[in-house]
Amino acid sequence: MMNRRNFLGLGLAAVALAPMTLSAIDFRKEKPDAWTAKNVDDAIKALYGDVKVEESDKITVKTPKVASNGGAVPVTIKSDIDAKTVTLLQNVNPESTVATWTVPEGGIVDYSVKIKMKGSGKVIVVVEGKDGKFYTASNELEVALGGCEG
Amino acid sequence: MGNMKIKAKEKDGIVKAKVMAKHDMLTYDQAKKKGTEANFITHMTGKVNDTVVYDVSTSQFLSKNPLFKFKFKGKKGDKLEMTWVDLKGNTVTESKKIK
Repeated sequence: MMNRRNFLGLGLAAVALAPMTLSAIDFRKEKPDAWTAKNVDDAIKALYGDVKVEESDKITVKTPKVASNGGAVPVTIKSDIDAKTVTLLQNVNPESTVATWTVPEGGIVDYSVKIKMKGSGKVIVVVEGKDGKFYTASNELEVALGGCEG
Repeated sequence: MGNMKIKAKEKDGIVKAKVMAKHDMLTYDQAKKKGTEANFITHMTGKVNDTVVYDVSTSQFLSKNPLFKFKFKGKKGDKLEMTWVDLKGNTVTESKKIK
């Protein structure tokens, strides 16, 4: 337990010291646990620690109401929040974290990607604000044909 | 002959970029069924003149031949350089001028 706390602390310190705008942050290297977390709460904890996340209407998560192909579900994330990082998660695949964006200085949070979803469920977006707070928004959608099989 | 299709258009100081990378993005489940190793893009960055304008760490859950759309402040004539790295350590860098 103690070791894990220390490890997380070290990780955060390292990120704070690293020049964030010059070098892109590879979250797979920085936060390996985040990518194996099997549920959304664990994933958020692995990425950001034990933080309080509040619902915000300043984040827009756009997904189709019904995705015809679970292998390519379009997701668009927009936000006006002055953000440090933005994480996309969902609650139907074997692991929860889908992607984490590091927002460069003066960056615009307007991202679109296509993701795989095993079935109908929820996509969740967590925005780490420069003010140290964490905001979230989510969208429920139906998937006609599951996306991890193929 | 590139791996990525990069489109970047500037309007009023904002560049709209669309990048499609060719990659199977095999999840662990899919790889097991095929009897091969999982491999998928894990990190993608976009730079303009050495400044990072886009940075995303990704998982096996992005679609095959993933499409990334994003916006950033920029101007015509600058070069957008995209780089991706996958689980096996392969990396591809390609660039395109912003129109």
